[in-house]
Formats: sequence, structure tokens, C-alpha cells
Amino acid sequence: MKHLVGYITAGVLEDAATADLILAMAAKGMDTIELGIPFSDPVADGPVIEKAAMIALEKGYRFDRTYGITQAISGTIDTLWMGYFNSFYHKGLESVAQKGAAAGLKGLIIPDLPFEEAQAHKPLFGGHGIDLIDFVAPTDTPERIKKIIADAKRFIYLVAYAGITGAGKSEDLAEISQAIKAVSSTPLYVGFGVDKDTAKEKVKHADGVIVGSAFVKILIDESLTASQKIDRIATLAGDIKSLINE
Amino acid sequence: MYIPKPSPHDPDKNGHFDLHGGRYVPETLMPLLEELEAEYAKVRQDEGFWSEVHALLNDYVGRPSPLYHAQKLSDELGATIYLKREDLNHTGAHKVNNTIAQGLLAKRMGKKKVIAETGAGQHGVATATIAALLGLECEVFMGAKDVARQQLNVFRMELLGAKVHPVESGSKTLKDAMNDAIRHWVTNARDTFYIIGTVAGPHPYPMMVRDFQAIIGYEAKMQIREKTGKLPDYVLACIGGGSNAIGMFAHFIDEPGVQCIGIEAGGLGVDTDKHGASLEKGSPGVLHGQMSYLLQDEDGQILEAHSISAGLDYPGIGPEHSYHHDRGTVKYDNITDGEALDAFVWLSRAEGIIPAFESAHAVAYLKKMGDTIKGKTVIVNISGRGDKDMIQAKEIVDLTKYE
Repeated sequence: MKHLVGYITAGVLEDAATADLILAMAAKGMDTIELGIPFSDPVADGPVIEKAAMIALEKGYRFDRTYGITQAISGTIDTLWMGYFNSFYHKGLESVAQKGAAAGLKGLIIPDLPFEEAQAHKPLFGGHGIDLIDFVAPTDTPERIKKIIADAKRFIYLVAYAGITGAGKSEDLAEISQAIKAVSSTPLYVGFGVDKDTAKEKVKHADGVIVGSAFVKILIDESLTASQKIDRIATLAGDIKSLINE
Repeated sequence: MYIPKPSPHDPDKNGHFDLHGGRYVPETLMPLLEELEAEYAKVRQDEGFWSEVHALLNDYVGRPSPLYHAQKLSDELGATIYLKREDLNHTGAHKVNNTIAQGLLAKRMGKKKVIAETGAGQHGVATATIAALLGLECEVFMGAKDVARQQLNVFRMELLGAKVHPVESGSKTLKDAMNDAIRHWVTNARDTFYIIGTVAGPHPYPMMVRDFQAIIGYEAKMQIREKTGKLPDYVLACIGGGSNAIGMFAHFIDEPGVQCIGIEAGGLGVDTDKHGASLEKGSPGVLHGQMSYLLQDEDGQILEAHSISAGLDYPGIGPEHSYHHDRGTVKYDNITDGEALDAFVWLSRAEGIIPAFESAHAVAYLKKMGDTIKGKTVIVNISGRGDKDMIQAKEIVDLTKYE
């Protein structure tokens, strides 16, 4: 069974509605949630996810609310956070690890914390059962891939193209997937630019996909009510889950 | 010929200056930074590369820039004041020292496209200039707010053949321009060289840009010895990201008896929320690929900086400054908008030199030093000239106040 990881920015909806949304996606077959922590300067993200972060911050989202949302969903679905390193660093890594673990957090996806900078922090988070997810990019050489995924936990995040989230780019991933598979048996998921139209193609050389902007586009659509958003995003999650397993 | 030497203040192999610096970037960029680091290691002490750099610095930029004895300032303060005239460089500021070297490096690496971020537009103009000279395609990212208030520099860049992208996200200033430059770089990682304008960003940029700007301190040290037979007591420079300051300080920092002082933007005062004093009021954090002092809120969201000078209007600071701050090897202080404007008029009328608003902060510090300056020898880095600020100055400077 191919795996679906979905990304949702916290704070666009009320926290209870965010939790309902994630549970509805899980009910449609989503395997893992990447709960996005809004940051003022999201350099790895395209306009859709950046806008979601701005909306959440304008509505007054606070970091500490992330624990409550996590608490509400982590019993039902595998829960990771996606955020920029400064958010965690500023709140104190030890405190984030402790409180996150208590809320049921299983992993962190930090796009501006590459292998070299992540090394120092893996023992702290690992000690609390929280994995730092390793990224591989299409610009990586086989030697570098070997180095950075030697000890990959949970899954390897393969960035589908050189770029930011939600762009309509594509690159041939056959070769790089092979290079990864040759050195690691950790599941390989492809993210960036994955939507209903591209999911089948992108999952070809991988064990799963990570979908963000396609969901968040609906999440920030001002013409929809919260319950309409929940319905549509959950339906889309179900559709993508079926598509990648056809 | 100036060629950088390994410095005791070089970062470690991952680019850390103690806590600060590093490489906090998306994985896509890591192979490029490693490639750049390897390439820079090859040219850092390569005579061939530096001969090319110096040929342009001498005949195109007009180096060495003079060290000028400011007699009237000296008389008024009871001190010996020298001004390092980076304002006389081609394109009007110290920025070109860096863009020439990075442009040549880009060419050597076979890159045909360069990008840059810019605040006031000085670095954008310096990059567009070198791109025109070297035949490189150039795109500049500039906050929409800065595009509106620096129309002349936008036109200058376009005249030089560069494409200017107004950035509409966030606070629409330098911080957001750098975000979009990084996004563009990630997207075009394979064929684009990012010419960063200050001693910030991921390793190796802070070290590399420091080396390129350290020509300032190298010349100043020789010139002051020639003119006075000794080293100065104080060396002053303004700090936004901090490239003119680190360039000036690099050759004085380890000299006993010389105190380097960096001047941050005090804006409306460091006790208000409108300033750019990252060291004084910020705390360590990660932005734009580096760990350094940052203006941020309780959740680590980056705050907007404020300064009358667009070049100091930045919520972070180069990581080497944060390192010198923590170690106490450099002293840091700040100057408000009002004090800088007074100094802008003061230097114009006393010496006939109109400084950039940025550099006026360093000049203003001469007065803030009070009695401690008496009998001392001081070098002030005049990092740029005030031409770019004329429209803004005309609106806000009330000359009758100075009659």
C-alpha cells in the first residue's frame, strides 16, 4: 500500500476545526499528517503555503496551540510537524521535544535544517521518540545521498524538483530514487508539486507521496465555509490515496 | 596586492562562528554551497584570481580609496579624524568591492546568470554594473516598498540591463527581497549564482564577503601608518548586515590598542519598537540561512526593522558580528534617525562631503563619544555617498534648523 502524507497549516481554521479536518482526511485513508507551524519567512514555500502562514499569523496563531491540536489527533493518526528551525529554536528545543512527545508528536520536518545542522539535534529529539526527517534533493550527488541518509528514520523526503513547494515543475526521479534505494531501505516519499494530476506519476519510483499546496489551496479559499473546506480536502485526500494505489 | 590570509576569526568547517553562522538552507542548495565553498577555497589565495580582481578594483572602481584627514571635524572635536572614502568608489559605495569579486567567481564557475537582493538599491546597482561589465544576465529582487521609495536606483538597474522584481510578500522590504532571492535560487539552483550583498547568508558567504570587503581595512591600515606613523585608537563603521564594518575591522580587530566600534540603526530609539538594533535588542535565531542575532517576537516570528536608512533597515546582522559581540572583540552601539540626520548635515557643511544616510550613523557616533574622543585618532568608514538619499533628504531635513 502506498503511503499518503498530507500537509495542513495550523491556524487558518479554529483549532477544533483543524483537528476535525485532519481526522476527516485520516478517515479517507491519509496515513500521516504534517501539521504546519506558520512562520513569517517561509523560504522553502511557494505562494500558497506562504499565504496560509500569513493568514494564520494575522489571525494571531501562537506556537503553543500546536500542542493542543496534536493532542486531539495523535491518537488517531501518525502526527509530524513541519516548521522552520527558528520556531523550534526560539521556543527551546528541549521544551519542544518534551511537550511535543507528551502530545504524541512522532517527527519533525524542518526544511531549513539540512543534514549537517540537524546532526547536533538528533539525539535530543530521538531521546523523546521524535525523528528528524532527512531530505534528499535532485541536486544531490550519489556520494552526498549516501552520507545524509545513512541513518534515516521513519521516511526519506525526496524533493521532487529544484524549487519551492507547489510549483508546477517536474524532474525525472528514476535515477535518484535508485541511488537512494541502493543505500537505504527506509521508505521513500516524494513531496513538492504533488496533486491529483501528478500523484500517480510521482509515486512511480517511491513508497508514498507528500501533498501540501493542493490541500492548502482549498484551505485558504475565502469563498468556502469551514465545513465545505473540510469536505473538499478530505475528498481530495481520498482521491489521491486511491490514485497512488491504482 | 591584497590577498586574504586565513584569519583566527574564520568559521569552522560547517561555517560556524561559535554559535552563529552555519548553513540553514533547503537541501537543494547544499550541494551548491559545497561547490561554492570548494571553488572559493581554490581562489582565496590564488594570485591569478586576485590579479583579475585588483585590475578592476584599480582601474574600474578607482581604488585605493583615499584616507582623508577631516581637519574641521578634528578641530571641532579636539581629536584627529580620518575618513575612509568608500563613497568615492564607482557606483557610490563599498558594495562594488564585493560584487566585482563575486562576479568574477561566478564567471569562473561557468554561471551565466546572477541574482541579487537589494534594500536601498546600492547592492542591486553594484551587481547590475558588474553583470553589464562581465556579460552576465542579472535579476534583482527588491521589496515593493523599497521599489517605490528608491525609484532612481530602480531605473539605474534597468538602465544597466538588469530585471528588477518588486517583492510583494511580508513587509515588502529587504528581508522579503532576500526570501524571494533564495526562492529563485532554489528554483534555478543549477545555473544561477547568488551574489549576496553583505556578510550574511549561509556559509561560505559571510567569510567570503568579509574577505572581499577587507580591502577597505587593508588600505586604511597602510594609509593611517603612512600619515600618522601609528595605528588609530578607534575605528568606526555603520552596520546593517555589516559588510563595510567587517571589511574595515578585519585588519584592526586583533591589534591591541585599537577599538573597533560598530554602529547599528537606533531608528526612533531602541526603547521603541522602531529600530534596527539586532545586537542590542534581538536574540540568536535563524533567518536567511544563518544563525545570528535577530529581532523576533516570543514565537520566533521575525519583526520588521526600522531605520531612516534603507541599508540599515534589516532585522538581522551578519553572524561574524554576533560572534564578535558575544566575545567582546568589537564594541557595538547605536545611533538614532535624528542623530544620523544631524550628522548628515554636519559632515556636508563642515567638510563638503555628503554621506549616505547609512554612513551618517558612523559619523554621528563621533559626537556621541563625548570626552572619550579628546586627543584620540579615529578612522570613520564613509561607506557610501548621499546622492541616492537626496529625494528623501529633501523631504525630511529642515535646513532652517541648522542656521
